Order: sequence, then structure tokens, then C-alpha cells
Amino acid sequence: MTIRVAAVADIHLSEASRGTYRKRLDGIEHRADVLLVGGDLTRHGTVAEAQVVADEFRDLPIPAVFVLGNHDYHSNAEEEMAELLRAAGLIVLDDSAAAVLDGRLGIAGGKGFGGGFAGKCASEFGEPETKAFVRHTREIADRWRVALKGLETEHRVVLSHYAPIKETLEGEPPEIYPFLGSYLLAEAADAEGADLIIHGHAHRGTEKGVTPGGIRVRNVALPVLGRAYAIYSLAEAGW
Amino acid sequence: MSSMNASDAPHYVAARVQRAIAEDARTNELGIKVDVRGNQIFLQGQVFEEEQRAHLTEVATEAAPGLTVHNEVTCVQVGEPGEEELL
Repeated sequence: MTIRVAAVADIHLSEASRGTYRKRLDGIEHRADVLLVGGDLTRHGTVAEAQVVADEFRDLPIPAVFVLGNHDYHSNAEEEMAELLRAAGLIVLDDSAAAVLDGRLGIAGGKGFGGGFAGKCASEFGEPETKAFVRHTREIADRWRVALKGLETEHRVVLSHYAPIKETLEGEPPEIYPFLGSYLLAEAADAEGADLIIHGHAHRGTEKGVTPGGIRVRNVALPVLGRAYAIYSLAEAGW
Repeated sequence: MSSMNASDAPHYVAARVQRAIAEDARTNELGIKVDVRGNQIFLQGQVFEEEQRAHLTEVATEAAPGLTVHNEVTCVQVGEPGEEELL
């Protein structure tokens, strides 16, 4: 049986969004089996905004899996935000994995980070600030490998905020690609295997791309989609 | 000696406005394109709510006093979910 994955990112809810977002999800249980939300849930990363997100997504009839984005870190309340969402029955990945749909679908991932793409990226060299920037992404990618390895599900999907390839960034100025994603994220997924990688962050990017290893990548940032969410059907055979 | 301060070159004004739009709590918008042409500033991109559009004009005007701000930013239109893609 195929699994229908609904996905969206960069929903940027504010306190003014209270009571307005939920209607976009009406009837989602007839269209999809699971909903993935790829970060930038809020505008400023405040606890008050997080509460709006928790309330708008609470008690959905299908499982909902979230990662946070850079906006969600802006007020240093990311841990509280994750707790609020979990208390509302939502799954939040933080370089971790979860299995849903009776173990048929595994989702691994987290925020991700930048650094750039092979041949045009930063390295762990020089000043401590540069090393720390690149190390952050490398450590995330290492944790994703562990998270993916631990999944024994029929299908695997990686959920990220930052982009794993540059193809889905087309439309963004190339000068800012290193701030939009890193090839290390794609490399981790290619090494461990996955059916699909979902990300957001690049509002001016492109929906569809593929990793060097052949995994389909979808940029589901709301401005890219222009629709409430995308739906991807995973066929019977897994990765 | 030029009468214009070097830091008022259009290049720097655009950068200053873009930075203000990213860092000001009223906006915190990272994807807005800022172009300075003569004494005019053009803002382009997308936001999620009408109110955010107004804040962009406000923040840009404060960051570059004396210049005319043309706010060409649009609001994201969100349609129905649409058909599924079989992978």
C-alpha cells in the first residue's frame, strides 16, 4: 500500500495567525496519511508564537512530524517550543528519528544547517568561528546518519529545514547558497538510504530536485508551493 | 571632495535597508530584495500577512530617511493542496 506524505514548510505563524491556519488542514486525513512540517513554524521564535502553532496543529486526525527552522531559534526558546509542540501530541525531530503508521514510515532529521555545496563550500579551517560554523553542520549530518541507521521501517523520509542540494535553491541568489544548505545533509541521506528528502528555508527556490545518489528532494517552502501542502505518494518498494 | 558621503552610495544604502528588514523585530524578513535607484528604494519579495507588508515600508523608510520607498512586495497566495505526486 502506498503512503501519502503531505508536506509544507515555512508557515511562519505569528500571534495574528491564531485561529486562521487550521482551516487549511481541513480534510487532510482524506488526502494524506502523515503530515511533515519542515521548520520556520514561527516568525520570531517566541513562546507565544509556538503556542499558536501547537494550537493550530493539535488533534489532527493524522500523525504530524515537525522540525524547527532558523526563525524558530531567534528568541532562544527552541527547547520550550519543542516541548509545547510535543505536549500538543505532535512529533518534533531534533537530529533524531520517529516511526509512524505502525512502523511503516520512518522519518529522520532536524533543522540542518548551511555551509554550501560540494566544490563551493566552507571547510573546518582557520578561525574558530569558521570551524564552529562548519562543524555544526557536520555534527548534524553525523547524527542524521545514526538516526537513519536506527530506522527499520518500510520507507524512510528525511525532514529538514535547510536544503541538502542546490537544485531546489534555483531562483535564490547563488551568493547566498552557503546560508541555505549543505551537501553534507544529502551525503548523509545518500549513505544511509531514504525515499525522499523534504526541506524548506528557500522561499524563492524550486520544488523538485534529486541528490547525487538519486534520492528525490522536495522544497516545500509555502511560497514555493503556493498551496496549503504538497502530497507525495511513496510507492510500495522502499529505498 | 564629493558632497555625497561615501557611506550613502546606493550599494551601502541598499545593504543597510536589507539588514534593517532582516534584524528589526517588526519585520525579521530575510528574503526581501532591496534596490536603490537615485532617490528611490524598491522592495520586492513575498510576505505572509498584509500587516507585514506595511511594516516593511516603515522599517525601510526609517533606515533610509529622505528616500522614497516603493513597496512592491506581495502576499503569498495559498491555494488548495492540489494533486499528489507519485514518487
